[in-house]
Amino acid sequence: MYSQPTTSSPLPQQTPQQVQQELVSESCMDFFLMEMVDTICRTTITEPDADIDAVFYKLETLGFSVGQRLIEKLTKDRPRFVDTLDVVKFICKDLWTIMFKKQIDNLKTNHRGVYVLQDNNFRWFMRLSTDVGGADSAKKATPFLWFPCGIIRGALANLGVTSVVVAETSNLPQCTFQIKIAA
Amino acid sequence: MSTVINCIAIIGKQNNPLFIKNFSNTHPDLKYHYIAHTSIDVIEERGNGVRSLDQYLGLLYAMEDLAVYGYQSNTKVKFVVIVSVTDGVIRDADMKSIFQQIHQAYASHVCNPFFNQDSPSMTLSSPSFLKSIEAIGTTIPISN
Repeated sequence: MYSQPTTSSPLPQQTPQQVQQELVSESCMDFFLMEMVDTICRTTITEPDADIDAVFYKLETLGFSVGQRLIEKLTKDRPRFVDTLDVVKFICKDLWTIMFKKQIDNLKTNHRGVYVLQDNNFRWFMRLSTDVGGADSAKKATPFLWFPCGIIRGALANLGVTSVVVAETSNLPQCTFQIKIAA
Repeated sequence: MSTVINCIAIIGKQNNPLFIKNFSNTHPDLKYHYIAHTSIDVIEERGNGVRSLDQYLGLLYAMEDLAVYGYQSNTKVKFVVIVSVTDGVIRDADMKSIFQQIHQAYASHVCNPFFNQDSPSMTLSSPSFLKSIEAIGTTIPISN
């Protein structure tokens, strides 16, 4: 996501070699994501009947549509997927590499539709900390995980896999995503 | 002898029609709607049966003077291109490149945040998408 080029079709008078790849600055992306989570938390609290689930819903839905669109672009030139495990492995390797420049560190499954993805050095947590540290910072960092949850769910949905994705973190910068695939 | 594309159709994940563009004036639109609809069955049969790892499905079927080619993306979106049959041989590589251009135009259109993929009545109508499909449809694929 940091170095996702914006593809544009070449103008008639330019050759394809002259079209520049447009990249996004990584720090801009960092600031934007921080502010997004903060704004949604702040503005949702003021709505009537809103609670932490409403924040989760908003961030996750945003991630869902981003995930769908990313997958449409990323799987364009790729051969067909064999089965669900192949799809999850694609998410752990290719999608994670594009978004976070690394792969998922640990993938576990019970072969009955539950996958656990563990990232020991989650990129968006690398610069987060609080005064107290430990469990307190883990709790405050949880809303930052909901957008990636949505991205994973959107990516799976567009590849034909209906799922529920939840995430948790016990100590920064490690985090775990749990994918439950509908039977 | 050159072959001209008669129609490009795009069918969504839930087999809903997303887009259809008629380039010829020999057949009415309705006929191409009918052809695209029958292509869905053929694509599903080809795609789920023998597990070929390719998105390009080749010639689906031919009827009267029209040949129908299909392509299914990883996101289960189906592209159908209908060409008029002439004496020339249509190369797979040419059809593949046409489908890849259509896929590229579709992927660019999907990235529009105002386009809701899951709404069943959405059709693809952005001007740049229409322009790129127009450009694909009016270039002649084979020049023998």
